[in-house]
Amino acid sequence: MVGKAVSFTAAELAGLGKDSIPPELLSGQGLVYSSPATLAYNSPGAEGFGVKRAGLSVPESVMLILAPGCCGRNTSLISNMPGYKNRFFYLEMNEADLVTGKHLSRVPEAVSEVCSFTREIKGKAPRVVMICITCVDALLGTDMERVCRKAEEALRQNGFSDTRVRPCYMYALTREGRRPPMVHVRQTLYSLLEPMDKDPGSVNIIGNFAPLAEGELQKYLRKAGVRNIRQIGTCESYDEFLKMACANFNIVTDAEVRAACEDMNTVLNIPYIELTRVHGIDKISLQYQAFASAAGIKIDDSEDKSLALEAVEDLRRSYPDLTFNIGESSNCNPFELAVALVRYGFKVGEIYSNVAPERFVYVKQLAKLSPETKIFSNMEPTMLYYDVSGSEADITIGKDAGYYCPGIPNIPWNSDIKPFGYQGVIDLMKAIKDALKEGRS
Amino acid sequence: MKGLRKVLTPFAPDQSGAVSVLYNLGGLIVVIDAGGCTGNICGFDEPRWQNSKSAIFSAGLRDMDAILGRDELLVKKTIDAATRIDCNFIALIGTPVPATIGTDYRALKRMIENKTDIPVLSIATNGMRLYDEGEAMAYKELADVFADGSSSAASVTLGQTPLTYGNSFVDVTIEQMRNISNSGEVIAASASGLSAAMGLGLDHKILSTPALKYLNEDLSGKVLVCHDEVFGKTLRDNGVDLDIATFFTLHDEIRKEGDKKITEEDEFTAMVYSGGYDAVVADKCLMDLIPEYEGRFIDAPCFAVSGRM
Repeated sequence: MVGKAVSFTAAELAGLGKDSIPPELLSGQGLVYSSPATLAYNSPGAEGFGVKRAGLSVPESVMLILAPGCCGRNTSLISNMPGYKNRFFYLEMNEADLVTGKHLSRVPEAVSEVCSFTREIKGKAPRVVMICITCVDALLGTDMERVCRKAEEALRQNGFSDTRVRPCYMYALTREGRRPPMVHVRQTLYSLLEPMDKDPGSVNIIGNFAPLAEGELQKYLRKAGVRNIRQIGTCESYDEFLKMACANFNIVTDAEVRAACEDMNTVLNIPYIELTRVHGIDKISLQYQAFASAAGIKIDDSEDKSLALEAVEDLRRSYPDLTFNIGESSNCNPFELAVALVRYGFKVGEIYSNVAPERFVYVKQLAKLSPETKIFSNMEPTMLYYDVSGSEADITIGKDAGYYCPGIPNIPWNSDIKPFGYQGVIDLMKAIKDALKEGRS
Repeated sequence: MKGLRKVLTPFAPDQSGAVSVLYNLGGLIVVIDAGGCTGNICGFDEPRWQNSKSAIFSAGLRDMDAILGRDELLVKKTIDAATRIDCNFIALIGTPVPATIGTDYRALKRMIENKTDIPVLSIATNGMRLYDEGEAMAYKELADVFADGSSSAASVTLGQTPLTYGNSFVDVTIEQMRNISNSGEVIAASASGLSAAMGLGLDHKILSTPALKYLNEDLSGKVLVCHDEVFGKTLRDNGVDLDIATFFTLHDEIRKEGDKKITEEDEFTAMVYSGGYDAVVADKCLMDLIPEYEGRFIDAPCFAVSGRM
């Protein structure tokens, strides 16, 4: 139907089943709408941590983007952010390079020049040069490991004795593949670590690029005797980053780092435990119990759990009948958050998100608790016609939801530094209360 | 080193230029990419994107689509969207992926035309050329598809898009393009407008109206203008003693001795340092290339260069 945004209720979706999710709600099935709400998805460099920003998570690294000019165009947005000035360089491909592959033979010289330039303006050479390549080289079948080896050899000949060169694949074509770009970039980052003696008092929290906000997880670890909690986002230097190799175990907070963790388990003998970022208090509690058991430590979370329950109750006392619209451009699984909010006694009117099969478990729960909740896909072309007048939301969560529902109080909930566990619930409840107060004043 | 950028980010590519021309014409615009190019176009190169809606979509190509050349799937996706989106034409915009796999745009166009009565434009941009070339290609394709000379238009301005002139843009209309050959006056407002006018064999006037406001600046002495060529020519035509440097197209119709088409960062630096200029008129992001220049610097934003209005 022309002129109407496609949506399905939770009950309709649950009725269809996980294997019959409508194509309108699946990624890769139709044309993709690049609404302003979804630019973080479609434009890896635009905001959040896409491949380019993620590739520069390693301290003292720079990036050479080896691609057609269009691929590096939006990088100036990142270049203007604190900590990124003079860290991006570009070697532009032309039409002849598509045929001859000649751009690859220029990489060693370009990398050497980038290192010389960096040494000139910063007083020291970079420790890592990430070479970011894009869809074109994916299709050309470029052997980037070889290209990087050649570049390292050139660096050694030019006197740069300890600068590593690693590939960074911004292959948007493989987004739904087995190793999508954000999985691959994490493998690249942690592949820089080399085996070293284990420190039983060291643990890594990995998955995020910016650090997790200081919260109860770190407190529990310290109580259990962990002296060094390392995250890539808190490492001040490359040498400190390398110490992540001495960890006793990894705590994984994002499933996209799982492949890197498997690599670390094999190469560095570091096992890993997964902790998911959720907003259901009971689920958080269960997760900590399972974590304590697996890690062989004791965790008493009663006080933090009480604080989280109180934060929820406080919001309910102040605003007992809230209706939420929730988007996926936020630091949450919108379906999990919707289930949590409904269980807390609130309503969820609309969700803007793809329904990846792994999220279907929450769709089924939602269908029982709130069958009329509507689910839209951000990428569906008819979102061009989304009309907020049909929504009864009091507040929206997610940058995308804020875009679709102008005039309704919004919490983007998409900061780089994310609160975790009970602290995440407490911070969210407070942010909701603050936004409502501000919106109604 | 040739092709290596150490200070500036890449300029707006041809695909952004093509979309810029079509943005407000009511079409269904399909960028044949995996998603990133569309994100770049909408999220960075199209300043109107946050405030006015346009039906710009990514083809959402995946690796097997490209490897196996699944044109039928792209046609199906496009037709499916066109049945649900109100549009008066469909435009196919090229990117590096179809350039790499050698997509036959004319064939794609015909395949879609066979399934719908909606006019189809195909623009074989590739992300490796610059925006002014993409704009010129879009004007030409609009004329090729729509021009029928059935009526006449008073005047039409080509090449005054946001990528060159920020908020001072002037969109063409389908009606103007339909009657382009009978236009009373064709104004080429930038390199793309000039390329289009010349390519279509139209009599034209070369004028950048937005450049005229810079006549209020101190442009005394010898001046270097690093912007669009028509921007520079307009100031020159109004008595400013200047050389033109441009990263974009420099037509023989405009070029005078001392003017230069530049490609590399170092070329701009060398031109400024060796030219003895009293003033430089350019986007201020270029100042980073000439830290030792001591003359006057007059900021003339060019969105295609800095992404700044």
